[in-house]
Amino acid sequence: MHSFSQRFFANPRVALSLLWLSFVVLLAIAAPIIAPGSPFAIVAKPFAPPLGDFLFGTDSLGRDLMAGLVHGARTSLLIAILATLAAVAFGTLVGAIAGFYGGFVDDILMRITEFFQTIPAFIFAIVLVAILAPSGTSLVIAIATVSWPPIARVVRGEVLTIKAREFVQAAIVAGQRDMAILFGQVLPNALSPLIVTGSLLVANAILIESALSFLGLGAPNLMSWGFQIGAGRAFLRDAWWLVTVPGIAILLTVLSINLAGEGLNDALNPRLRDL
Amino acid sequence: MRRISMSVVAAALLGAVAIAGPPASAQKAGGTLVQITQPEPPNLAPYISTSAPISQVTAKVYDGLLEYGFDLKPKPALAEAWEVTPDGKTVTFKLRKGVKFHDGKPFTSADVQFTVMDVLKKVHPRGINTFRDVTAVETPDEHTAIFRLNNAAPYMLSALSGYESPMVPKHVFGQGDIRTHANANQPIGTGAFKFIEWRRGELVRLDKNPDYWRKGLPNLDRIVVRFINDEATRTAALEKGEAHVAGFGGVPYNDAKKLATLPSVEVTTKGYEMISPIVELLINTKKAPFDNQKVRQAVAYAIDRQFVIDNIWFGFGKLATGPISSNFAPSGIYTDNVTKYQVPDGIERANKLLDEAGLPKKDGGIRFEMVHDITPYGPEWQRFGEFVQQRLALIGIKASLRYEDVATWLKRTYTDYDYTLTSNFLYNLPDPVLGVHRAIHGKLIKQGTVFVNGSQWSDPRADELMDKATIEPDPKKRAAYYHEVQKIVVEASPIIWVFELNFPTVVNKRYKDVITSPLGLYTNFAGVSRE
Repeated sequence: MHSFSQRFFANPRVALSLLWLSFVVLLAIAAPIIAPGSPFAIVAKPFAPPLGDFLFGTDSLGRDLMAGLVHGARTSLLIAILATLAAVAFGTLVGAIAGFYGGFVDDILMRITEFFQTIPAFIFAIVLVAILAPSGTSLVIAIATVSWPPIARVVRGEVLTIKAREFVQAAIVAGQRDMAILFGQVLPNALSPLIVTGSLLVANAILIESALSFLGLGAPNLMSWGFQIGAGRAFLRDAWWLVTVPGIAILLTVLSINLAGEGLNDALNPRLRDL
Repeated sequence: MRRISMSVVAAALLGAVAIAGPPASAQKAGGTLVQITQPEPPNLAPYISTSAPISQVTAKVYDGLLEYGFDLKPKPALAEAWEVTPDGKTVTFKLRKGVKFHDGKPFTSADVQFTVMDVLKKVHPRGINTFRDVTAVETPDEHTAIFRLNNAAPYMLSALSGYESPMVPKHVFGQGDIRTHANANQPIGTGAFKFIEWRRGELVRLDKNPDYWRKGLPNLDRIVVRFINDEATRTAALEKGEAHVAGFGGVPYNDAKKLATLPSVEVTTKGYEMISPIVELLINTKKAPFDNQKVRQAVAYAIDRQFVIDNIWFGFGKLATGPISSNFAPSGIYTDNVTKYQVPDGIERANKLLDEAGLPKKDGGIRFEMVHDITPYGPEWQRFGEFVQQRLALIGIKASLRYEDVATWLKRTYTDYDYTLTSNFLYNLPDPVLGVHRAIHGKLIKQGTVFVNGSQWSDPRADELMDKATIEPDPKKRAAYYHEVQKIVVEASPIIWVFELNFPTVVNKRYKDVITSPLGLYTNFAGVSRE
């Protein structure tokens, strides 16, 4: 029987993912030091190839691609994490109330959740951003709005099973208030699936943010990886690095988050504990 | 054996044509031309809408009274001859005989009268202006149309092409409401090609009009106008020879440069001489601090136009000096004797002007903050916006960018006037009265009307000069008026005229005589032939 951290970190895929993720987080935090000034600043001739004066070359307006990547890591991560936190908070609230009270409340809340689930997520996000006018805040709102329904369903399912356990029954008998039972007894026991789903949502949020920016619906004053790809797409045949470098950054980051999330799932799963 | 007999037949046919009289052209007949138009037109009613893609299709179906040569002088089309009285107030057109609409009915002076008085003068966005001084069109016989005017209108004879003033059949469009007419998307004209079908999102098919009034023409059997949303696919179609002609920015500028290196393709910037688009930055002169001329001039000095031409539009442009395009140089209207903002020390001059305007640099070197609205026309415009933002940063103006859809942006700019700085491009069209006055004349500050004076600037002297030039028949005097107008507005800088946009037109070399007019793709393609 190993502890959680032993099982989690011993997994080589998880270790590699965490290595890359901490590198990206470090870059994002240190962005103003590594690349001072605006990442939109025109610093050299357009289309300078990589490994010249600039590590990753310059883009179609002569902006340093490296500066864009570093600041883009900041934007992408920040928007993804904020959107996920908002989605998790709202989804948990809805799911917990629906699962805990059941009956009529459950019916209403789940029909609303299903309503949101039936709208194709990405198209819904495009509509939201278009209505709200593209900005950092509207991206967070749009991504959170399309991301919360799965969280609500997961939490509801967990609450339904936990609610039937003896310790919850005991708490009810002991006369604890509803909210105390929900937040003190039920939700802490529903945490592990929530953490796993939430971590996967971060990866999804990065993809949605990139895709929106790629379509020109990103925040116009924030440098992001999706924006870099969108801006470089027209020049794929002249300057391959414009899309390739940020593309690899998105690929590695999203893959890492997925692998780490899977690792979390394995480590938290009590059935796999003795394997 | 078979091959020989075929060539014998062909030779006999050619001989027959030669005996029958000189052919209209030595070109080979037959073939289909595929034209790419982007975006898909909203309708096929050029008499009511001036949306740019419409006439790329309909100019092949509808004729005008006149056509134009590269010297911008009129040539006969539906009108065989015309005469203007010395005071300019009576214009008589002799109409061609034997011209038939595609439904077989004859084209007569009644159609001219109906088109001008009941259609163009009433519902065409620019026709309202073009024909404003026309009080009546008289029709003494079927082949004579006499225009009676209040004042001389020297610009009118430049605006009678099938693009600007398409002649529509009275017997069709005279029935019912012209604004919601059933034939809006089924055009019936006198042109070289007949409308066959419009498959939405895919193509418009036009077939040869066998009864076309130019005998022996058109050469082509068919024109297919395709709508392809993805720009990379458009480029690939032209590269592969699946499509044969595209213009008006339908091909990305960097791709046009690449296509020009292919042996099968020619890229030309001709065919826009009567259109003359100019890319500009529009300033809201009612909004502080841009109500101050010095601040506007500072921005004009800060924009490096050559960088914009070279790196954003990939060389398809020429420095603009003011509101009037250098395409008007032959008529003497254009002058570059105005304040020049493209100077090596532009940034220093701009900073000095802003200091003088009482906007010193505060903490962080920032003088003031503002929003720059990006024109929602595509990736070049986005990059242009980002570039403007960077140039403004150099003179201490912190600009944030705003990106909205076309409808919202138009409303913000021309209805709500809730903007500070935005970009746009306007056509000069065949005459300043039609294309230039709208942007700078005080009378054209019309809230809610798009593409007019959105900067809300006006100057009594400039207005007076433009009013005089409108009705001045003497070209020399007209030119002098316009020279002064250019001086005044460039100095005041309510709009920053950045560069003259030279749209690249990509043409497959197997097709001959495609661009033969200053209206380029807005012409009938009757003379186009396939090798």
